[in-house]
Amino acid sequence: MSLRLKRREPPAQSETIIALIDVVFFLLVFFMLIGRMDATAPFDVSPPIAASGSDMPAGGATLSVSRLGDLALDGREITRDALGPALSQLLDADPALRLRVNAHKNAELRHVLPLVGDAEALGFRDVVLVVTPAEAP
Amino acid sequence: MISLVPMIDVMLILLVFFMVTSTYLNLDMIPAVQQQEDRAGAASGVGETLMIRLGSDGQPVVRGQALNDRDLAALLQQRLRADPLTQVLVLPSGGATTQALISVMDVAARVGAERLRVIRLEARP
Repeated sequence: MSLRLKRREPPAQSETIIALIDVVFFLLVFFMLIGRMDATAPFDVSPPIAASGSDMPAGGATLSVSRLGDLALDGREITRDALGPALSQLLDADPALRLRVNAHKNAELRHVLPLVGDAEALGFRDVVLVVTPAEAP
Repeated sequence: MISLVPMIDVMLILLVFFMVTSTYLNLDMIPAVQQQEDRAGAASGVGETLMIRLGSDGQPVVRGQALNDRDLAALLQQRLRADPLTQVLVLPSGGATTQALISVMDVAARVGAERLRVIRLEARP
C-alpha cells in the first residue's frame, strides 16, 4: 500500500499584501527623498535661532564650531592649524564652494568670526552662518 | 511563482534603517561674507553710519546706551526712515555669543536694514 501525500498549493498572495508593499514603498521613497545625507559634528551643535534666515540649499562644506570652540570639518574633528590647508584643498577642488559655518549658539564670537575672516581670506566667496528658523508666533 | 515575502522583509528593514538613523534638521542660513557685487554697491552708496557695539554680555550698545531688542528696532527704524541708505555696522565683543550677534542681525533685517556689516578688530603685532 502506498501513501500518496497531496502537495498543498501555496496560498496565493492576497491583495492586502500588495497594499502593504505599496505603503512600505511609499514610505521608503519618502524618507529617501526628503532626507539629505549630511555628516554630523562629533560634538553637540545647537545653531542660533533667527527669524530672518533663508532656506539653505544642499551642498557645500560644513564647518562646525562647538560651544567651547572645537572645530569639525564635514563631520571630522580638526585642529585650528590644520583647518586652513583643508579649506584650501576643498576650494581648489571647487572654487565656488559654499562654506556653512555651523556654530553653537553659545559659542563665543572670538571662536567664530576669525574663521569667517580666514575663509574669506582664503578665497571663499560664499560663507553662510547656519541658523535655526524661529517658530512663528 | 516568486515569493514577495523576502522583498517585503528587505524593504521593511531599509525603511526602519532610514527612520532610525536619520536626523531631520530644519536649518536656514544667513550670509556671512558679502558677494563682490553687493560690496561694490554698498561702498558706492552714501549714507549715515550707525555703529552698534555688542558687549560680552550680549547687550547691544549704541552711543554708550544699552538697548533691548525693541528699543534697537525702534532706533534703527527711525534712522532708516531719516536715511534709507544708513549703513549699520556691528562691532561685537569676542566674548559675545553667536546667538547675540544673530539676534542683532535679525532685528536689523526685520526693520529693513540692507546695508549691514559685521566688523571685528584684529590685534596686530
